[in-house]
Amino acid sequence: MRTFFNSMAAAAVAVAAFLLLGPSTVGKSMAFASSSSETTMHTNNWAVLVCTSRFWFNYRHMANTLSLYRTVKRLGIPDERIILMLADDMACNARNKYPAQVFNNENHRLNLYGDNVEVDYRGYEVTVENFLRVLTGRHENAVPRSKRLLSDEGSHILLYMTGHGGDEFLKFQDSEELQSPDLADAVKQMKEKHRFKELLIMVDTCQAATLFNQLQSPGVLAIGSSMKGENSYSHHLDSDVGVSVVDRFTFYTLAFFERLNMYDNASLSSLFTSYNPSLLMSTAYYRTDLYQQHLEEVAVTNFFGSVMETIHTDSAYKAPSRTSSSRAEVKMPFDPSVNDNERRVLADSDRRDHISDLKNEDQQGAFGQLWKTINDRVDKIEDTDSFVQYGLLVMLPLLLLPTLLSW
Amino acid sequence: MAESGSETAAGAKPKRKPIVWLGIFLISHSFFFSVVFSAAGVVALLLLPVLAKNTYISENALMPGSAASMLSNQEVAEASRLVSDLTSSNLKPLGSAIGSQRILAQHMSNLGAEVSFHKFHSQRNQFHPLHFFSSPDSGRVEQNVSCSMHGVNTVGIIRAPRGDGKEAIVLVTPFNSAKVNPNEAFSLGIAYSVFSLLNRVPWLAKDVIWLVADSQFGEYAAVSAWLRDYHTPVFSGLGTLDAEMCPESNNLYGMNENLSTERAIYDGFKRAGTMAAALVIKVADQSEQFEDGLSIYAEASNGQMPNLDLINVVNYLAVHRQGLRVKVEKFWSLLGVKWLNTLGEIFESLGHFARSLNPDWKFGIPANDYVEGSATLASSLYNQALGVPTGPHGAFRDYQVDAITLEISPKISLLDNIARRNDLLLRSGRLIEGVIRSVNNLLEKFHQSFFLYLLTSPGKFVSVGVYMIAFALLVAPLPLVATSLYVDASNSDSSVKKEKPSPSAIITRESWKWLYAAKKAFIVHLWGSVVSLLPYFICQMPSCTPTTSFIIWVLLSVLSLVLMYMVLASPSSHTNESQPQRVEWPILKSVTLSAAFIGLCLMSVINFATAEIGGLLMLPMCLMAHPLKPDVKARSKRTLSRAVCNLVLGFIGFPPVAFIVLKGAFEGLGSTNVGDYWSWVESLWAWNSATYLYIGMVHLPCWALCIHILFHRS
Repeated sequence: MRTFFNSMAAAAVAVAAFLLLGPSTVGKSMAFASSSSETTMHTNNWAVLVCTSRFWFNYRHMANTLSLYRTVKRLGIPDERIILMLADDMACNARNKYPAQVFNNENHRLNLYGDNVEVDYRGYEVTVENFLRVLTGRHENAVPRSKRLLSDEGSHILLYMTGHGGDEFLKFQDSEELQSPDLADAVKQMKEKHRFKELLIMVDTCQAATLFNQLQSPGVLAIGSSMKGENSYSHHLDSDVGVSVVDRFTFYTLAFFERLNMYDNASLSSLFTSYNPSLLMSTAYYRTDLYQQHLEEVAVTNFFGSVMETIHTDSAYKAPSRTSSSRAEVKMPFDPSVNDNERRVLADSDRRDHISDLKNEDQQGAFGQLWKTINDRVDKIEDTDSFVQYGLLVMLPLLLLPTLLSW
Repeated sequence: MAESGSETAAGAKPKRKPIVWLGIFLISHSFFFSVVFSAAGVVALLLLPVLAKNTYISENALMPGSAASMLSNQEVAEASRLVSDLTSSNLKPLGSAIGSQRILAQHMSNLGAEVSFHKFHSQRNQFHPLHFFSSPDSGRVEQNVSCSMHGVNTVGIIRAPRGDGKEAIVLVTPFNSAKVNPNEAFSLGIAYSVFSLLNRVPWLAKDVIWLVADSQFGEYAAVSAWLRDYHTPVFSGLGTLDAEMCPESNNLYGMNENLSTERAIYDGFKRAGTMAAALVIKVADQSEQFEDGLSIYAEASNGQMPNLDLINVVNYLAVHRQGLRVKVEKFWSLLGVKWLNTLGEIFESLGHFARSLNPDWKFGIPANDYVEGSATLASSLYNQALGVPTGPHGAFRDYQVDAITLEISPKISLLDNIARRNDLLLRSGRLIEGVIRSVNNLLEKFHQSFFLYLLTSPGKFVSVGVYMIAFALLVAPLPLVATSLYVDASNSDSSVKKEKPSPSAIITRESWKWLYAAKKAFIVHLWGSVVSLLPYFICQMPSCTPTTSFIIWVLLSVLSLVLMYMVLASPSSHTNESQPQRVEWPILKSVTLSAAFIGLCLMSVINFATAEIGGLLMLPMCLMAHPLKPDVKARSKRTLSRAVCNLVLGFIGFPPVAFIVLKGAFEGLGSTNVGDYWSWVESLWAWNSATYLYIGMVHLPCWALCIHILFHRS
């Protein structure tokens, strides 16, 4: 009952604000609220790597995921910030000719299943439920921290999924499906819970593009291996192991990353343009409409690498004081224009923040408080530009009044 | 339908549901539609080779040919040595039976496999009326078996190094230890080369069992005896008791001491897990083909087939990896048949025509392919209809294990050319290795692909969804004509009744008139089941030639018919009735058709091929049946030709005659006598074929009823 009244009150307040400010401004204010995360610093990187299929003949899916695991680790995401989900254990499968080893190439030069592989969810733990729990952070109390995605509003998250998919679904364990609305809903929840700043979803399945259809949350970038109606194919067969060991999309993704190191500044667009449809035998799909920045200006290491916390100390032997530590992004050698742009964006969003703060108060407070705050703000205003803006805002209720009367 | 028919007669309801209307329409034009339907059924059957689809591997897990073959010349050389050992042991006069088995066991044991011997007693083929649908393990009759009638299977088991030991793949090589045949020795060589490879590969997930089946009492008996003991563990001391019964078997156990290997050969019965698949390897004599060939035999008892995926894997690997020419059985005599060729050409030109209309229509195959396809399809149908397994693989199907026999036929004689022999050994070994590796990848039983299909070539099949259409069209006239006959009969009754109103007692009796016909049909079917049980007693008679047995059977059948007629259906039981209870023939025919329809439909569920062939034989006879007397009296051309047709169909419809005619058509009439029919029927019940039951309980009674209609006094 209590919650009911609360919600009623909230609704009433919302309606009041709506009447006062008009629909357009409220919409705007909400947009500001959601874009507020853009203002937060990019502070950390996470990766969720999921292989959803079991069975020996799906060896390649595990190899895909493990290859990507290795790549993001090499590019700087630490193990504690990688959630690795593997639906089956090919390394210990009795059919594996090389026990405890997994290869993604028939040359067998690189064992992906070496010493430092930390699988967080394995075997039958890889379910749609657990996957959604990881994304949204709704875990049982007993789930250890290492199995949780402990991201915050400054996180860049890479979500990589591979398995067998179809039109708007991805099969888990050959028994259940993750559908595109489920994914979109989980991402939206993440957004609202400030669990990420930017999210890159990379999917290597058949008809991968369809999985992104329902996504709405800003800050999300999506890459799929194939369009609707297309299949994603395996790259090559290892006749020694007797199975296909890697998928084409992942193979060429890895080929792109093999040329990079932690400090490279290759942009996302260079990754996206590196996919050749004739080699892929499918058309890679990018969904960028939810992502504000230009892909040319975003480094791949924004998602596949990591920011690192550096603690500056004056002398080698003095104990570092926490307070003086400065969190700073390891600046990749960007070209100056990018830096400029970033700065500009920051300045802009500073100002927008004020406005959105104001709106938030509007919604929370009642009528008089609104006036009070506006007056307060007006007092603080120094530049004429914003004064005019506020003046226009004040005009809005007056505009609304004739409309109400004409009803 | 019958109700709706009477509604038409009454004409009470002006508005009917479309389905009712359709039913009435079909029934009222039953003659036309029955001709159309049965013709369509035959055409659909002839079209099946054209409609056959290419096989494809349905199970993702199989991945045949994705792994490189590991079988090398080293294994082949060892296997070749074994073959030489075996063939040379044959030359030694004494104890060669034990000798060759000892050589085999020693070789297996040297490889590191677990070796055991399985002793079994051959069972005589006896008629067990209750065994048709019971599980095969119920026949554990081990009384008064003579010690001389026992065979010894040699079994080697490789345990998968990292497998869970719950599943196994079986290799079977029939081998007559008493007289070593070079072909059998060669098949042992193939199995040995694969076995020695599998013993050291790290990728096995299923155990591998190599069964060297002692084929001196037949290949099937040895395999089925081993399977029976594999699946029915005995916890009492029966096994040891068996061993004690026959002193001579000690020879085998004595040889354990001779072996200087570390592993002892185990006396008891060794098991591995559930069988995922079984391959029977045989080698045929030199063939006239230009290439090394591989014949696949798949039919098990009662037309059961292994999963199509198993055949697909073998076919794919043999053709695309080892360059063997794959064959399935076909009726060679059909290849030269003129009308089939013409039909093929017609279908081919139809296909061209269809393609000229729309290039997307993929219809029609070359006439040559059509003839080959029909010959294969006919053989496939025949083998399934017979219900007798085409090889030892049939024993596995009784335990729901998918199994096929692979018969390798070399291009040239194996004895002459050692290099050629080793080459073929390598290729066949690689084929078997590939199939085993593929089945090893399997996670569940074979289940993805078809179980109900007919093959038209090794790479083409007709699935159940297609061939059932032909059958449905074929039997559709039966209920149509039955209903229309019934409706006509009751209409004529009601018209008679309207003319002169009779007491209500008679009306009720009239409306139940079909009951008398049904009773008659029931008695005849009862007689049919009695006839099918008679061979049980005839078998007990000692020293009967097939011909005398057959004659006794016929005499007893006739006697039982007369007896049953006198006891159950004699007119004397109805003397107190006011009207003569002679059943009118249309009602009787209607009941006969219904009985035939029910029988055929039931049989189509059990064994489609039997029902299809039975339908083809029975349908014209049942539909044409008409009393001869009025036909002959009428003396018109139409009625006379109908009478002749009826006589011919009635003659051919008699099961022994049908058998002899068909046999003559396919094999020539050279050496047929009536005793052959007895032998054939004997083989049917020996293999628990449901076809036997079909002949006795559906075909024979329907034939008798048709004959009864022909000689009806009306």
